[in-house]
Amino acid sequence: MITKTQDSAQSDLLGKLRRVGGNASAEQIGAELNRLGQTPVPLLPAQELCEAFLINVLKNQGTVACAPDRSEAVKCVAKYLHERFHTRKIVAGNDPRLAAMPWRDGGVLPRFGAAEQEFSSPPTPASLSYARLGVAETGSIVTFTGKSNPAANNLLVEDHLVLLDVADLVANLDDAWQRINAAMEEEGRPRGINFISGPSSTGDIDAQLVMGAHGPRAWHVILMGDVPDEALDNARSFIEQRLNQL
Amino acid sequence: MSSTDQAKGSRAFYSNVRSSLQETEKVNRRDMLGLFMPMIRDAAVNEFGGFEELRRHVKNIKQHSLDNLYHYLSQFVEEAKSNGNHVHFAQDSSEMNSIVLDICQQHDARRVIKGKSMVTEETHLLPHLQSAGLEVVETDLGEYIIQQAGESPSHIVGPALHKSVDEIRELFMRKHQLGERELEGPAEMVAEARTVLREHFLKADVGIIGSNALIAESGYSMLVTNEGNGDLCANLPKVLIICTTMDRVVPRANDAMALLRLLVRSATGQPVTCYTSFYSGPRQGEDTDGPIETHIVLLDNKRSDILDSDYREMLQCIRCAACLNHCPIYIGAGGHAYGSVYMGPMGSVLTPLLTSLEESNALPNACTACGRCAEVCPASIPLPDLLRDLRHDETRAKLSPTRWRVGMKIHAWLLSHPWLYHKLTALGIPALGWLGRKKGSFKSLVLANGWTDERDFPAPQGRTFMQQYQSQRDDNEDAG
Repeated sequence: MITKTQDSAQSDLLGKLRRVGGNASAEQIGAELNRLGQTPVPLLPAQELCEAFLINVLKNQGTVACAPDRSEAVKCVAKYLHERFHTRKIVAGNDPRLAAMPWRDGGVLPRFGAAEQEFSSPPTPASLSYARLGVAETGSIVTFTGKSNPAANNLLVEDHLVLLDVADLVANLDDAWQRINAAMEEEGRPRGINFISGPSSTGDIDAQLVMGAHGPRAWHVILMGDVPDEALDNARSFIEQRLNQL
Repeated sequence: MSSTDQAKGSRAFYSNVRSSLQETEKVNRRDMLGLFMPMIRDAAVNEFGGFEELRRHVKNIKQHSLDNLYHYLSQFVEEAKSNGNHVHFAQDSSEMNSIVLDICQQHDARRVIKGKSMVTEETHLLPHLQSAGLEVVETDLGEYIIQQAGESPSHIVGPALHKSVDEIRELFMRKHQLGERELEGPAEMVAEARTVLREHFLKADVGIIGSNALIAESGYSMLVTNEGNGDLCANLPKVLIICTTMDRVVPRANDAMALLRLLVRSATGQPVTCYTSFYSGPRQGEDTDGPIETHIVLLDNKRSDILDSDYREMLQCIRCAACLNHCPIYIGAGGHAYGSVYMGPMGSVLTPLLTSLEESNALPNACTACGRCAEVCPASIPLPDLLRDLRHDETRAKLSPTRWRVGMKIHAWLLSHPWLYHKLTALGIPALGWLGRKKGSFKSLVLANGWTDERDFPAPQGRTFMQQYQSQRDDNEDAG
């Protein structure tokens, strides 16, 4: 029933749109779109990409750490878990890159799979994701849905931790989509593409910012690899100066 | 007087405004909003650098998308279907509501969770589903608050910004099982709502969300939230329904990114929201989560008529609410006074177009022509021009009061005969000055009681502007 009615509803509307102005060919439309040029991008808060990314993560109410290699990254995870929850346990997606982490170096005990989804059970304290990309322009990390990134791990935990390779850091959102489009060429379209830029937050009560609206209350990004020595310190002093100006 | 008591429909605008101006605490809250929101928007715009260039670019992209909507909508539908979505077309509100209810009933759904969506506000989807016996819960915190209070949104981005912390505390005390807990401040209230809503998220059969952009080249739908509630709706239940409209279509992902840069800065002063997600369709292959079935319902509700009218530019609107935050009438009157789903300058244009000018002719008059909305509109919509055109239509359709139209006609005739206008004012102004010479002002004045009911009318001092201008010009010429 629905199908037949829907077919006629679709052709009625599209027919109307065609009459309003649907005469140009796909080639003409494509050429016109190309003539509109590139999107202007915003200024970055620092010239160096890692520094700009770290500044923007901090501006998004996230916390950051830098690790020169995977072993140090595991130690950063261990330190965070101990300080926040006095635990060594964390939930991680079924991502081969996470499976290959040297967990013993930091004494971290990962469980691979999805965070708790039973309302009667206490929520999972922390989860770990391995980002596909980081975006300096917005201080975002990008993940694709799938078994390597169960939605519950991004959304139903108290704290969300993210590992990001410096090599996967791009300057802006357009560069990110260039990489995403290339990945989709190879792997097909994922069900979901998530840009995450901070802990879950709301300003709906009295316009006051509160963290942990529905999702994670805290968001911690560990930038792995060849990060310039002074990047983290510079990022922190940038934020400090900004706070002093307010 | 609460919003629920206020008369429905924008015809009641004038009486609603009178009531809302009596609520001192709410007036103060709105004044704060009118100061604070423009400030954070300006800071974000300045930090961007080249914001005007971005604005021009997005305007070009939106116009191009609307000019070629047949092409891009067809492309989107084709891609969305190939991604595994069921795509539905709804001519009007009742069709959209029936389609959504049918989907819920086909899945024997009992519990529905909803993300924020102005389109579903427009069609009044929630009461429609509830009347069929479904439990529907709004999950955006602001929407949840007003659902509990039985009110409608007062702002398209911050629907509960009209409510004070005390009012929300009292509401939660009434509606939730709080026991001894007192809910000190916003953080505790958010935590309370988080716990209550978590259960709904985990038990829901169907999730309903809106869309901020539909990407033609790939069939993805963009969802922009800070709370993450929309993503929970999109990922946890077995069925996902996206309720949206055709004017959300943009050609490419990069165009959605350009729009995102404008939208978030204009709405909340952030460079990006916490969650910006793109959903293509149902779970696939090795996926371990996500909806098994996804539907996209495209509502027309006169948008195709607007596309074919002189008001086409209104379809460029990206629902950021910058025009509301900068409008002296919105800040003064508040969102509920408009008696419609959309309010402020964008609502005063859109509401008559989506309903009829007969029903909503008060709204295009809710304008001081100050032009701030056009200055800040990220989509470069000439809102004051569209409001003026609607007033023009109102006059032509003889919807405004006869006295007003006759007055305007006389005024227009006088203005088109400047010599007579100057003569009459040169006689009238000194006469008025002479009459009011003792008190310096008038407590009442014939034909101007709209003014003198509220305040005194100052007696004119000296000569008219044109007389002074003329004599200065003569002096200058003599000097030259």
